[in-house]
Amino acid sequence: MPSASPHTTPDPEILAARKPKQRRGPLAGIRVADFCWMGVGSVATRLLADFGAEVIKIEDRTRVDMPRRLPIYKDGGLRSYGEEDSNPDPNKGGLFNNYCRNKLGVTINMRTEKGRELADRLIAKSSVVTENFAPGVMERWGLTYEHLNEISPEIIYGRMSGYGHSGPHSEYRSYGPVVQAVCGLSAISGLPGREPSGWGLSYMDNIAAYFNSAALLAAIYERMKTGKGTEVDVAAVEVGVSLVGPLLLDVSVNNHLTRRPDFPTGNRLEDQPAAPHGVYACTGDDRWVAIAVFDDGEWQGFCEALGNPAWVADERFASQAARFANQDALDAHVEEWTKQRDPHEVMTLLQFHGVRAGAVQNSQDLVEDDPQLDDRGTFFELDHPVIGEALFEGVPIKFSESGPDNWRSAPLVAEDNDYVFKDVLGMEDDEFSQLLEEGII
Amino acid sequence: MLNTMGDPFGGSSFSGLKVVELSSDIAGDFTGKLLAQLGCEVVKVELPEGSPVRKIGPFAVGHDDIDHSLTYWFYNADKKSVVVNYEQEAGRSTLDALVAKADVLVITMQPSELAARNIDLEVLSANHAQLIILAVTPFGLTGPWAEYHTSDLVGLAAGGMLFSSGYDDHSIPPIRPGGNQGYVVPANFALIGALLALIEREHTGRGQIVDVSMHESLAVSPELANPFWFYPKVLVQRQTCRHAQPVPTAPALFQTADGRYLYFALVLADTKPWNSLVEWLDSKGLAADLTEPEYQQLAHRQEQFHHIQGIIEVFFMLNDMETLYREGQARGLPVGPINMVEDLFDDEHLVARRYFQQLEHEDAPAGQYPTFPIRFSNIETPAERPAPNLGANTDAVIGEWLA
Repeated sequence: MPSASPHTTPDPEILAARKPKQRRGPLAGIRVADFCWMGVGSVATRLLADFGAEVIKIEDRTRVDMPRRLPIYKDGGLRSYGEEDSNPDPNKGGLFNNYCRNKLGVTINMRTEKGRELADRLIAKSSVVTENFAPGVMERWGLTYEHLNEISPEIIYGRMSGYGHSGPHSEYRSYGPVVQAVCGLSAISGLPGREPSGWGLSYMDNIAAYFNSAALLAAIYERMKTGKGTEVDVAAVEVGVSLVGPLLLDVSVNNHLTRRPDFPTGNRLEDQPAAPHGVYACTGDDRWVAIAVFDDGEWQGFCEALGNPAWVADERFASQAARFANQDALDAHVEEWTKQRDPHEVMTLLQFHGVRAGAVQNSQDLVEDDPQLDDRGTFFELDHPVIGEALFEGVPIKFSESGPDNWRSAPLVAEDNDYVFKDVLGMEDDEFSQLLEEGII
Repeated sequence: MLNTMGDPFGGSSFSGLKVVELSSDIAGDFTGKLLAQLGCEVVKVELPEGSPVRKIGPFAVGHDDIDHSLTYWFYNADKKSVVVNYEQEAGRSTLDALVAKADVLVITMQPSELAARNIDLEVLSANHAQLIILAVTPFGLTGPWAEYHTSDLVGLAAGGMLFSSGYDDHSIPPIRPGGNQGYVVPANFALIGALLALIEREHTGRGQIVDVSMHESLAVSPELANPFWFYPKVLVQRQTCRHAQPVPTAPALFQTADGRYLYFALVLADTKPWNSLVEWLDSKGLAADLTEPEYQQLAHRQEQFHHIQGIIEVFFMLNDMETLYREGQARGLPVGPINMVEDLFDDEHLVARRYFQQLEHEDAPAGQYPTFPIRFSNIETPAERPAPNLGANTDAVIGEWLA
């Protein structure tokens, strides 16, 4: 593990060029007091910042946001994300940069009376408040919906949690993998007769974030139309359950239980006679291609792409139903062909013949070798005073009338204290210095 | 803050919005359902043979026809079905008239399909200034792959999420995570895109074309895999039912006394959860030597990692899931059961929050439907309604909208 290096002090000229400016986009003019941290909340409010909202991320200097501390650095090497740095440079974390682009950053020590008073002043100038703490934390700071609505009438209060703000498990701890386990999404993924393979990512962090972004946008739209604010309660576990899909009905309507030896079905489909339908080895280390053939027309295209080898005429493969029934034999032939080829070569050839096929792309492929993402400009670059140029995951939507306003990479710790406390709240220099000295900001 | 299940829907700003949905896949279907759950009036326009999703199983027990696909039921609850043969002239003018009344058009056709049906989105947008055209397609309306074909599996593969999911044993291919998530993710972005366009329309009075790509939606969603490439330029390696990471990590699935799987990631670095864990083991006389003072040192814990993992395996194996979930969480440890689908309906937390809503079906047993997972204190959302039979609302909608 690399030893702790001295933290970088950014060039004042670079910092001067990063001062907040007038934003553009459908959410311009909306100020968000953002108490979110970690993944779900940060991704949810990033979307608002992308489209012009002034999202002010509130951190505590003495316990900065976790993604600032995880060792996803340009020079981080081979380390798992759980290997926290013992003396991290909080401005160097790539994950934080990824989650907090386009946001402002301030520090407030919420464990002090003066800090909480300052937060109230900021909320009074905001029309949206967001948080994803464990239930009870905001209440301990006095930040109930009733209180917020008093200091900023018709405010929107977005509350994002694992289990929601009511019910017997509302205090339970969760993060992506636990949510995926509890909501049923892990168990429906895997090969039959062994442990589930589930998810190799905190899928539910992203997806709960997307639902939370939508919830906040819906609340903003409703307020534009009616003038009314609202509190919003989104439980990641409930979002997850809503995505389990038709299996919820197969079990509840048909009583077709999933605790059975032939479930789940790996890469094969249970309810559509698709064959071949799988992930097949290609040349290269851990390289694969996904192929899905749903009907006779697609099968014809598949056979042509392969040059109609003799084996495709086997009577076991004479109809879609026959191919579905004989998938083991079929898959052996398919893989015999794919494993002599590059996954992108297979994808291109099969797609040319009208067959659904996709290379199993890793992140290097997505960033460096995907002509579609390149053409659409999915990933984009922003400079950062400590990290330097970095890539970001753009919004995967093209708007004919507008688009995201990517004006700045993630804030340094306390980078916007001056602008937010002095310009937005009208704080005098004396008070600012005093709060700084007392460790409030 | 509970959904107003069973109560009549009092309406919201969304209930005044009309949506026409022309969808032939689950991404478009789920987009429409999310808009319907929010309160919009969603009219699904189908050709006389019905949506292709109606042919996807499983089917309600005892049936195999287009009105009994559970896949259709799930993704098309809360909508109205209108049959219009828009491939013929008369039907086409009916479709055009419906679209003229709509606030949002959800459409899943790829560019060549649009051209074949003589639908030009730019012309449509120019002719209906207020209309929001929500194009939800496999790769987007532009680019070299715009005409490529996809499926849930193919989408997850090309989009990057599949590479991270599977087993420690890499002779096994990556395994598709279940539930049609390849289509779910673009539907989420479509909802976000529709709401942003609605907000923008309030400012400008104009709609626009919102072009949502399934491939792009997935490519920005593999979580840590992308930052690991953006920054240290390392690839993650898939690991059984836990995060794909640049280096191998310890197994996180444990078997319990009642034959179930529990998820628990042992993190040694923090002393507080470590002590909670040891106290918990000790309370059942199963802490072995972990109470010894040398385990307060991180270096010792790291050295003894396999020994510790072994003790935890035994501990979980000797206790049942219900106890482990309740007690572990009470001690602040993030443990969770790997719930099977049938476990969800009786989950005490979901029951207390009245999360599922039972819907009766005409000629099949009742179903448990998940309700909209966004709860507002001050915006009403409608109760769930069963998916419509093919053309169930044709006359009523045409009568109301085109009167």
